[in-house]
Amino acid sequence: MDLTTLGGQFIGIIPLGDIVLYFTTFNLFMFAAVLVFTVLIAISRTESQVEAQFGTLKDREKKVGKAEFKIRRFLAIVCGLATAGAMITGDVFDFTLFVALIGIVNIGIVAAVKEIDVLDSAFQYGIIAMIASLPLFGGAAFILASTGTLSLLEIVNIPTTTLMLFGSILLFLGVAGETGVAPFFATKAEMFRTPGSPFLLIIHLSSLMVIVRIIEILLIINKPF
Amino acid sequence: MSASVLVPSVVSPVVVSLYLPAVFTAILAALIGLLAISNQKNDLHTLILTDIVGISMLILVAAVGTDLAESLILPGLVVELAEIMAISEILMSREMRKLGKTVDLIPLPLSMNMEILETAPTFIAILLIAYGAFLTGFTGGAVAGGGILFYVLSKMSRGVPNNTWEGVAGVSGIAWCLWLVGFLVFFIAPSYWVLALFLAAFGVFIKVTFKAGLIGVMGREEFKREKE
Repeated sequence: MDLTTLGGQFIGIIPLGDIVLYFTTFNLFMFAAVLVFTVLIAISRTESQVEAQFGTLKDREKKVGKAEFKIRRFLAIVCGLATAGAMITGDVFDFTLFVALIGIVNIGIVAAVKEIDVLDSAFQYGIIAMIASLPLFGGAAFILASTGTLSLLEIVNIPTTTLMLFGSILLFLGVAGETGVAPFFATKAEMFRTPGSPFLLIIHLSSLMVIVRIIEILLIINKPF
Repeated sequence: MSASVLVPSVVSPVVVSLYLPAVFTAILAALIGLLAISNQKNDLHTLILTDIVGISMLILVAAVGTDLAESLILPGLVVELAEIMAISEILMSREMRKLGKTVDLIPLPLSMNMEILETAPTFIAILLIAYGAFLTGFTGGAVAGGGILFYVLSKMSRGVPNNTWEGVAGVSGIAWCLWLVGFLVFFIAPSYWVLALFLAAFGVFIKVTFKAGLIGVMGREEFKREKE
């Protein structure tokens, strides 16, 4: 098995010293998709949240100030770029750093809101994300200890050992906690009740794309076929 | 042991045999931390205990013990610090909203409106900044940053002018970009390493100076407010 089994055609690498980014058809497509979404979110107009009220025909409108939206737009762009970087990186530790950055930025996007409930759930998501950094970086460290390298282009040629399998399971647990998917989604769901919708979409998008990419990385490390 | 395939023969077997104990120490410490978190009801204590889990992560990375692992500890530590700062900021703003009042960043019990705080800080700050510029690099940045921090804290009783503060923040950002450009030149055009070295050295000097001067207080009203 090599990288082209999953990724399709191998297009090329960008060597930056020992940090190597590589392109296959698959991850180039994901990279481009994330960049397009980031641009769309960066240029989109801000929205104000409208809530229906009980017992009256009036609506309640929640407005967010321009200064707050400026910070949120910036953080959304950072989140998009981190996701795009995670798509094409050829280094396991770089991938974990990008995922950790996505986690921090996700907290930052909702940090400035005024609702106490949202801040509460952002706090709980932050605690989970911080605990999840243990399996995330620990998994990468196990893979480094068992193979002697972190480059996916090298790992793909090394036969899988039990420690590598253990490391990649930890890595998956870490990514799941950091992006707040399946077992941890309860902490993250309330965060989306924040006003200021276009910039919140990147939180969804980043966790979706990172999960697709981590599955590809796990298959590359463990070589089941 | 299969690990010995990867380990060069110059490494003593004692060092190699330390890997498993280190990993178990990390996992044990993390488990103790997680047990404590699961019993904890106070949010602040939960946050502090989470740091134990984060430190076990650093032990796991450090256990590998190669130079690559060493270079991974720093980003791990930075991520750890960034997360704990982001979460504590959320905790603070939530508590402030619950109580409906804001709290001073550095609450001073006394009104320290003394004559010496007008004259001495400028001289000491200039001295420290000049010495920092002579040192350059990270150390120089830390020394000069200490000077700026001293100046700001001393002047706090009367309020630091708004424009100056935002200007310092802007210069810090530009210096950071210089530093990044320096690193990019190292990767893209290694033949211009002298230029890259100086960009990185002076970029990091200016950046660390102002970063230490700014430490998390940039956006706060605290230093912008003119006190009577």
